[in-house]
Amino acid sequence: MRSFMDFIEGPTRTASLARFMLCAICVLGLWQVLATYVVTNRLLLVPPMDVARALRTEGVSGALWTNALATVSAVAAAFPIAVVLGVGIGLALASSRFLALTVGPMLTALNSVPVVALAPLFIAWLGLGFASKFVIVTIFSIFPILVTTEVGLKATDKILVEASRSFNASRWQIFTTVTLPFALPFVISGIRVAWARALVAIIVAEFFGSFAGFGFAILAAGQSFDTATLLAYVIVLGVLGLVGSIFFEWLERRLAPWRHE
Amino acid sequence: MANAKSTNALSIEGINKVFGRPGKPTVEALRNIDLTIKEGEFVSIVGASGSGKSTLLRIIDGLLPATSGVVKVSGAPVTKPGSDRAMVFQQDALLPWKSVRDNVAYGLVIGGTPKRDAHATAMRFIEMAGLKGFEHHYPHQLSGGMRQRVNVARALAVNPRILLLDEPFAALDAQTREIMQSELLNIWQKSKTTVLLITHQIDEAVYLSDRVVVFSARPGQVREEIPIPLPRPRDLEVKRHEAFGALVDKIWHLIEHEVRSAVADNRA
Repeated sequence: MRSFMDFIEGPTRTASLARFMLCAICVLGLWQVLATYVVTNRLLLVPPMDVARALRTEGVSGALWTNALATVSAVAAAFPIAVVLGVGIGLALASSRFLALTVGPMLTALNSVPVVALAPLFIAWLGLGFASKFVIVTIFSIFPILVTTEVGLKATDKILVEASRSFNASRWQIFTTVTLPFALPFVISGIRVAWARALVAIIVAEFFGSFAGFGFAILAAGQSFDTATLLAYVIVLGVLGLVGSIFFEWLERRLAPWRHE
Repeated sequence: MANAKSTNALSIEGINKVFGRPGKPTVEALRNIDLTIKEGEFVSIVGASGSGKSTLLRIIDGLLPATSGVVKVSGAPVTKPGSDRAMVFQQDALLPWKSVRDNVAYGLVIGGTPKRDAHATAMRFIEMAGLKGFEHHYPHQLSGGMRQRVNVARALAVNPRILLLDEPFAALDAQTREIMQSELLNIWQKSKTTVLLITHQIDEAVYLSDRVVVFSARPGQVREEIPIPLPRPRDLEVKRHEAFGALVDKIWHLIEHEVRSAVADNRA
């Protein structure tokens, strides 16, 4: 028992995989027990095997791929734009006191408005489909990136900047060799948060109006009381979120190993 | 006259520094500082905290403008940082995302030296600082003493005429500090650089220097210059000499009153 605990708490890759598997098995087991003995109404909850079967059916019929294409293409187009714009605006705010004092408060106000509530408006402007999804995802996921970029750039150790200046570095050299590398891990963690928000935004956008996509499929399944299919799509979304999160966390560790030891 | 010009590595002429922002009371940090340092000389400035020592060093490095007065390096007035001076800071000023080699090469690369040459030079100074084998390590993998050696190596790598040290060993434990002091002496003897060291450790100043400049507090003024005639090369044995103790005592008496009032200020 002792050695098992040592292994499972260990830093190895196998241990972290084992931890994940253990967790997943527990959750699935609990779910199975809950669906078999507690919530027996199949409209409310279906056991995991039914969900897996529904997922296979969607895959075989091709619906899964059609929906995946609609959702993933919108996110894949909008997310990089959100990253570029977010970093750009964060940079502008960090480097100009005037912008930080004028545009900054406005952006903070905009950030506290739940932008997804504006989704119907964007759909009215841009119609159903790609364009409205693109805009909603971009606007909703831009804020965490913008904020962390600004914070990261401003957080740079004064002493590092001074040391760089002491070698007669130009402003541009200070930016590229000190400020930017210092801010990078901040930016990446902002991107990680933004990824989760992008997935929320795309589903909301697809709820309000679209012909295809995971949000569309979830809504359709819900309206026809097809709980198994609904949960199947939710799980696909969960996997998408998890993969993104793991990737950005890995990237952050790679780019800033000194912050993790 | 020509002779005097060639032997003064650094001359500080009538430096005053007043900090102040509009609407706030001004603070006079330095008053009428006159000081010359000869080529190859090792000079320390000691004084109570708040005596403007670090401010003076930043003015010499060109990081901070003086309110009045002029700093000349080999006769040329200082207006901004340059490769004729290099600074080692009290705090850890290494770039955490760069390896030891890239950190030591940093000043050279910033100055436009091609990467390969900069790396070759860096390796020489890494070896001189006793860090051979650690060139691919990152700062967070090194001890405090090793990191400060990297800082010194980085400053020396740009081949400065004057090395400016701002309490470089203050953050280290007592044993490490002693070792670092003797290693600094070794490096200095090999490199023949002019050194200006700021410290609040009187024994450190006496052990290392040819001359100790005592500052008075608030505003910082040169109170006395004390030559240190202890023979060179010095090792740690010198600290047990009677003459060594007498010099430390003498300097301590000069600043005791101000240190005490600075301590009282901090308590208030």
